[in-house]
Amino acid sequence: MILLFIENFRISLTAVFANKLRSFLTALGIVIGVLSVTLMGTLISGLDRTFESSMSWLGKDILYVSRYEWFSGMEWWEVRNRPRMRTDYVDKIKERSNYALTVSPVMQRGASLSFKDKKARTEIFGTNEDYMETITTNIAQGRFFTRNEDRSGSRVTVIGDGIAQAFFGDKDPIGQYIKIDDIKFRVIGVLEEQGKFLGLMSVDKQAILPLGAFKRIFSKRGWMRLSVKVPTDKMDESLDEMYAVMRHIRGLKPGQKNDFAINQTKLFENQYNMLKIAIAGTGYAITLLSLIVGGIGIMNIMFVSVKERTREIGVRKAIGATKGMIMSQFLMESVTICSIAGLVGLLLAYIFSIFINKFFPSTLPITLSIYAILMSMAVGMISGFIPSYRAANLDPIDSLRYE
Amino acid sequence: MTLISLKNIFKIYNVGGEEVRALDGIDLDILENEYLAIMGPSGSGKSTLMNMIGCLDTPTSGIYEFEGEMVQVMDDSQLASIRNRKIGFVFQTFNLLPKATAQHNVEIPLVYANIKNKDRAKMATDALESVGLADRLHHKPNELSGGQRQRVAIARALVNKPSIILADEPTGNLDSKSGSEIMTILDDLHKNGNTIILVTHEDDVAQHAHRIIRLFDGKIIEDSKQAP
Repeated sequence: MILLFIENFRISLTAVFANKLRSFLTALGIVIGVLSVTLMGTLISGLDRTFESSMSWLGKDILYVSRYEWFSGMEWWEVRNRPRMRTDYVDKIKERSNYALTVSPVMQRGASLSFKDKKARTEIFGTNEDYMETITTNIAQGRFFTRNEDRSGSRVTVIGDGIAQAFFGDKDPIGQYIKIDDIKFRVIGVLEEQGKFLGLMSVDKQAILPLGAFKRIFSKRGWMRLSVKVPTDKMDESLDEMYAVMRHIRGLKPGQKNDFAINQTKLFENQYNMLKIAIAGTGYAITLLSLIVGGIGIMNIMFVSVKERTREIGVRKAIGATKGMIMSQFLMESVTICSIAGLVGLLLAYIFSIFINKFFPSTLPITLSIYAILMSMAVGMISGFIPSYRAANLDPIDSLRYE
Repeated sequence: MTLISLKNIFKIYNVGGEEVRALDGIDLDILENEYLAIMGPSGSGKSTLMNMIGCLDTPTSGIYEFEGEMVQVMDDSQLASIRNRKIGFVFQTFNLLPKATAQHNVEIPLVYANIKNKDRAKMATDALESVGLADRLHHKPNELSGGQRQRVAIARALVNKPSIILADEPTGNLDSKSGSEIMTILDDLHKNGNTIILVTHEDDVAQHAHRIIRLFDGKIIEDSKQAP
């Protein structure tokens, strides 16, 4: 059997390479099929990696209470008409909630930072001393501000790694004064580097100030959210409780709609999974379609190949080939075309993935590549079956007479 | 020893609702090391008879015994095995594989006989040497003359050491010189103990045989022995 297998493989290669253009055109569908499925895998692997690192920046155990629901598609005026979050909610939540571990209010606005002749336009955050517990980043240098500094409106700031690099380079930023919108702040800490969020937005260029100072200097009534840290294993209970607590704080009667929103990173995950399903769905649809079209092409060309070699089939039978041997010869031929096509598709995918990797870190998934090759072999098997079966059952006498 | 025994063989085709008796009650015994020629005009059934003997075709009715075994009850792999090991076909149009070298063409029956690569090359080379083509091993059919092609075909028929060589108009596509070379090879094979069955309509080809069977309308009308 091994000998026959080798011989069949040799015949197949001869047949495939004897009709290079024909084989190439026939196999194009399979090439595209393998290419699309593997590139899709590459893309998803890259997205996964980016998403994972971005999500680690947002805490998984944090409920974000604000006016705006993520991914809800709410109209801006609806959001605007809802009452703002207030600083006194922090204590109210702490008082009423059993699950809330820390509550940290966060206000945010754009501002320009400068140190001597260096300037940067960035986002500044006003928050309380518990902020560090609601994010996953640590202090790289110096310290965070204290409750007293917050209450007293001290003009101190913790800056992002990006600002530290830009303003101070190798020098120690701690104790230096930078200007935030022309007001002097003393740098007391530097956050560690975080990278880009979802590959787009850098969170390293930021400055964090005590909420007291933020409100006094920049805005009393700006946009605010509350980050509530809850136990990881009690996310659902905490969410339910937080709705109740907030409704109570807002004095909502039963039947009245919520005029606030509670968001969690799970929403990002849901959104991301939907995106992934969309990409995978598209990828699989293209793959399926091109494999079907490719498979039909292979079947067609195998019928032609059988027809062309009718006489050869007759001769082979006359000199001792069984039906099974003829069948395996033609099956092998169609599997060979498809496997070569699969390998070509994979090679192209590999070249593309190197290119993609320059812009977007990703890898060609090995398991998927193996599946893609197996899949193209299966297409060869399936689409070669009927032509091979027909070849095997040709009448030897008629075949020998075939012109 | 009787190699082939045909008893009351009929082969009936139904062409357009009309019954055509390609073989109409054939009784024939062929002994080991006979040199037999089957003759007859076209449509007389000689090709059908040859296909029957070569186990490519099965009779509508009658009994065919090959080396004492009933052929009509054999399955595809048993028939293929007989064609592979017991019978060597030589065709009028050579029927070589155009893309394969002479040596590879000769090796194909050995592939189906599951013989190892190394032995295969040796056996194929020997067979080609025996028909005088030792220097044409790696030529493809289109690089060979008609006579040489037919010799490759004979080497292919011989390579599995079959007892019977079935030659269907082996000189039909050859000039007279090449034709007589081929006939010499067949004569030699007969001397070496092979059974040769020729199908021809040329008298001078048939003269090489020791026994001539004439067919007409699917019936044997003459079965004569002749001195070589």
